[in-house]
Amino acid sequence: MRISRGGAFVAAVIAGALVLTGCTPADTAAPDTVKDTLVLGKSFDLATADPARSFETTGGIFGRAVYDTLLTFAKGDATTPIPMVAESYEVNEGATEYTFALRDDVVFSDGTPLTSADVVFSFDRVKNIQGNGSFLMEGLSVTAPDESTVVITSEKPNTAIPAIITAQTLGIVNSEVVKANGGTDAEDASTTDTAEEFLNTTSAGSGPYIIETFNTETETVIVANPNYWGEPAAYEKIVLKNATAENQLMDVQSGTIDIALDLGSDQLPAIESNPDLVIESGISPTIFFLFSNANPEISEITSTQAFRDAVKYGLDYDGLLEIAGDGSEQVAGVVPSVFFGALKPADVTVRDLDKAKAAVAELGDIDPIELEYPSDFSVAGISFGAVAERIQANLKEVGLEITLAPSPISTALDSYRGGTEEMGLWLWNPDYPDPADYLVFAPDNIVGLRAGWTGGSHPELVELSDQAAITTDEAEREAIFREYQLAMNEVGVFAPLFQPAASVVAGKDIEGAVFSAVFGIDLTYIGK
Amino acid sequence: MLFRFILSRLGSAAILSVGIIFVSFILTALLPGDAATSRLGERAAADPEIVAAMRTRYGLDQPLYMQFFIYLGNLLRGDLGTSIRTQNPVLSDLAQFGPASAELAIAATLIAIVMGVGFGIIASLRANGIVDQVLRVVSLGGVSIPIFWLALIAVYLFSTVNRIFPSSGRLNPGETPPPQITGMYTFDALAAGNWPLFVSAFTHLILPALVLSAPMIGLLLRFTRSSMLEVLGNEYVRAAEAKGLPRHTVVLRHVLRGALVPVITVLGTAFASLLAGTVLVEQIFGWPGIGAYAFRSASNLDLPAIVGVTLFVALVYITVNLIVDFLYGVIDPRIRRA
Repeated sequence: MRISRGGAFVAAVIAGALVLTGCTPADTAAPDTVKDTLVLGKSFDLATADPARSFETTGGIFGRAVYDTLLTFAKGDATTPIPMVAESYEVNEGATEYTFALRDDVVFSDGTPLTSADVVFSFDRVKNIQGNGSFLMEGLSVTAPDESTVVITSEKPNTAIPAIITAQTLGIVNSEVVKANGGTDAEDASTTDTAEEFLNTTSAGSGPYIIETFNTETETVIVANPNYWGEPAAYEKIVLKNATAENQLMDVQSGTIDIALDLGSDQLPAIESNPDLVIESGISPTIFFLFSNANPEISEITSTQAFRDAVKYGLDYDGLLEIAGDGSEQVAGVVPSVFFGALKPADVTVRDLDKAKAAVAELGDIDPIELEYPSDFSVAGISFGAVAERIQANLKEVGLEITLAPSPISTALDSYRGGTEEMGLWLWNPDYPDPADYLVFAPDNIVGLRAGWTGGSHPELVELSDQAAITTDEAEREAIFREYQLAMNEVGVFAPLFQPAASVVAGKDIEGAVFSAVFGIDLTYIGK
Repeated sequence: MLFRFILSRLGSAAILSVGIIFVSFILTALLPGDAATSRLGERAAADPEIVAAMRTRYGLDQPLYMQFFIYLGNLLRGDLGTSIRTQNPVLSDLAQFGPASAELAIAATLIAIVMGVGFGIIASLRANGIVDQVLRVVSLGGVSIPIFWLALIAVYLFSTVNRIFPSSGRLNPGETPPPQITGMYTFDALAAGNWPLFVSAFTHLILPALVLSAPMIGLLLRFTRSSMLEVLGNEYVRAAEAKGLPRHTVVLRHVLRGALVPVITVLGTAFASLLAGTVLVEQIFGWPGIGAYAFRSASNLDLPAIVGVTLFVALVYITVNLIVDFLYGVIDPRIRRA
């Protein structure tokens, strides 16, 4: 009877467990049993808790709550930096020297006062660690004339500095603590700094929250910093739970999470009638763009003005917004509408079938052109494949044959970064909220070169771009960025397509859960 | 005899593992894409110094054959390398995610054995009756319904509409896992005497395990039924019945025992489909297991993690096959003697 006894035991265990399960669902599924905890669902791209090495969206959300910066942005704003650790700043006439006066009441989570030495260490560490965000310090040097003053000097005029220093990568760390745990800001920090492991377990910041547990795959937990120098944190504990957009939709409906950050516009109708949830919508600063390679060695067709005109006027921009979903917007230039220097809605490119067909006629009889894009990657519920198919259909209407060439992002990135794609469909997320970040699209610059675009073909655009980078007067700056973008549109190597809608879905009792174009969501405002 | 058997199996397992590592290395290296830059942002990827530093950091500046031999050397010291994506030692990642999948797979297997074999016995004893017909439909459904669809429906019905089970994860958000013994939270929570945590872990486990077990239930049900029917017709069964033994004794001791060998073979095979199904189920239930880890590693060309997972899965297969071989001998002494 050995088998029957074993079977009976297993059956009893399963049955008992099922009974147990049936008795306890409310205890486990309802999150509001812990009132002091806020749970957010986010599709993680988390790599590290070390601010100097962090450059991912999730790292920015988490870092904003743990590490203070010199300046930041007010809730929902992405245009005007406001004081944080620095209570004020002055800039010289040439925008090459910024002097920041620090508050005298800022303390780290261990109670140590934050001084200018901590700022210098943090910024130099970012510069020398050779991480994803090191470029933020390119051409910049930082000094501390006294304990409460920090001076940032730029090799050339740079009006983007106030926006740049809001980046979470430039979060200020407790220099003594980090040094004691292997950190260094020396020039060889890329090989000698060993503080990441420590910073993945322990906070060394002055933000309203501190790390409790850090896990890049499951969940990261932060708790209120008892020594916070500002208004106390609204929650005792915040849990960032790694969940796909599909999981977030289910979790927010079942009450497992309080806030969902990645729901696409196609998912929102499922919860619009839910009285327990509130949808806060905004517009994402991410831009989707199409490019036609300007390098004749890659394609003798896409590098012609006629092809670029055919694409520019052949695209049905309104139709693409249907794919992008409700709340998305056509983007007029490369700078997204939420940032200073963006073009106006009236500047958008409009479909003109006559012009497109005339351009196709000028091209004559041509072979199909290959359009490459990442096939395993979607943003705000928008799949690149769906957008590419619509582009293919649009251009077929005007007589252009496009062959779709999808591949996984890890392999698609290779040909994109190598500048070998005939046509490419990609996106750009801002590195910092300033139009200067979009000069990368100019000829000879990073993204321009990916489209095979060298300065020789359009020297006037290179000059405009260089001028935009150093113009300091605000009105002149706005005007030159406008000119730069209109000229870019005229040439048409890049066709800016749209910005997706962005939403934050939260329980109706949660205040302050609004989308931030800079941080995704600013945890420090939630509950206030 | 048994010692030689184990030794020869372990020897072939070691050779097989080296072959698996070699093939994983070659296949991953043949993929277009650059593992060094796949984790870099757009600006950093355009900086040759940063790219070079990445290559050096992960040994990607070495020729492939050197990378392979270095990896083998490290492996002999128990070092599976560092994941490019998570920055953790691959061994510690596997120790974190392996038990999560194992817990799910073990729970699904237990459910499948109890339900699949149980229903199979019932179906064979009620052959061609109504119960048998219904169970055949159940079996067909289990085998043919796509597991991801079943998972979505299960979450919708039991988590979204009726909040009976949590929709994702292994524990409630913010709950601290039990002290690690096996890494399987239900077991570890019980071992720690933490009853509320056990309940939390169990309620998170049950729905994905049930979904994952569905194809295996269908398969085991069909094989148990047909195997039982075959044995039921044997003379020794009729002899046992003629001796006046109780029906349940005849069924469980004589018939089931004789029918179990093909069922165990199927169980071993079904384990393969279970592992494949785990990837989908883990994705839908937000279960942080080896499947989700493997998927993300492959998406990021994380060579050490890909090879580590491949090796891990291969070892699981080899172990399961060994267990199945031993079980043959336990169930049927004639096999052991042979």
